[in-house]
Amino acid sequence: MISRTLQSLRFLREHRWTTAHLSEYIDRELEEPQSERVAEHVRLCPECHRMLATLRRTVSGLRALRDHPPGAPGVADGVLGRIREEG
Amino acid sequence: MRPMSGQSEEALVECSQAGDRAAFEELVRRHADRLYAVVVRFVADGEEAQDVTQEAFLRAWRSIGRFRGQSQFFTWLYRIGINEAKRRAGRRPPAELIASLDDDAVPEAPDWSQAPQLRLEQSDLRDVLERAIRDLPMRYRATVILRDVEGLSTSEASEVMELSEAAFKSRLHRARLAVRRSLDEYFLEEKQ
Repeated sequence: MISRTLQSLRFLREHRWTTAHLSEYIDRELEEPQSERVAEHVRLCPECHRMLATLRRTVSGLRALRDHPPGAPGVADGVLGRIREEG
Repeated sequence: MRPMSGQSEEALVECSQAGDRAAFEELVRRHADRLYAVVVRFVADGEEAQDVTQEAFLRAWRSIGRFRGQSQFFTWLYRIGINEAKRRAGRRPPAELIASLDDDAVPEAPDWSQAPQLRLEQSDLRDVLERAIRDLPMRYRATVILRDVEGLSTSEASEVMELSEAAFKSRLHRARLAVRRSLDEYFLEEKQ
């Protein structure tokens, strides 16, 4: 009984820690032991597994927006005009 | 003398600091479109974004002498542009979103990671992402624009925002979770 309670407390602690570090995991900004800690919990937790997968797709979607910059014609010309006016 | 377009950025900055307007104009040509793309995602209005971009470069030109070269020119310029955009961009933070961003609880995630329609060629999905960015409170919006859309490193983006890397990462994570929630809604609607 005590051991099961401790196990589930440990799981909750890992769950909370993992959900807070998923972005750093995706960005490969965690040290090796921390990265393994995330990977280990994600293997055991379906919720974190789903969260990681969808967060990864979110980040790749955001990165892909870079290929579709909201441009406007003559931005540089407008700036140059203002600077020349300023003298 | 080499044409300005062949000069390194460092040389252009140095010449600009010495008062060479042609050198600064070359910096404008190199960075204006990129700064505009960042700013327009902040202010969500093309005309205002043009004004902010112009104002940012004017401020940069007036204060180029104070640029110390400890950071890259574009990170310094981004900071000026973002501060100008923040100053102008109204005070309309969506309160309910701030509450959910500040809440550590992570709602259960539906799994759409394998959805075949998650392609950015789809303009409606791009719209959902752009809208999700716009709906973020300003202090969160900058994180995804700089780090994910613009591709700055954590170190560069946190420098632009004048935050510690730890604080920047925490905000970025919350912002990404909020954008992810918008995609939840998009895919749930698609399913129905």
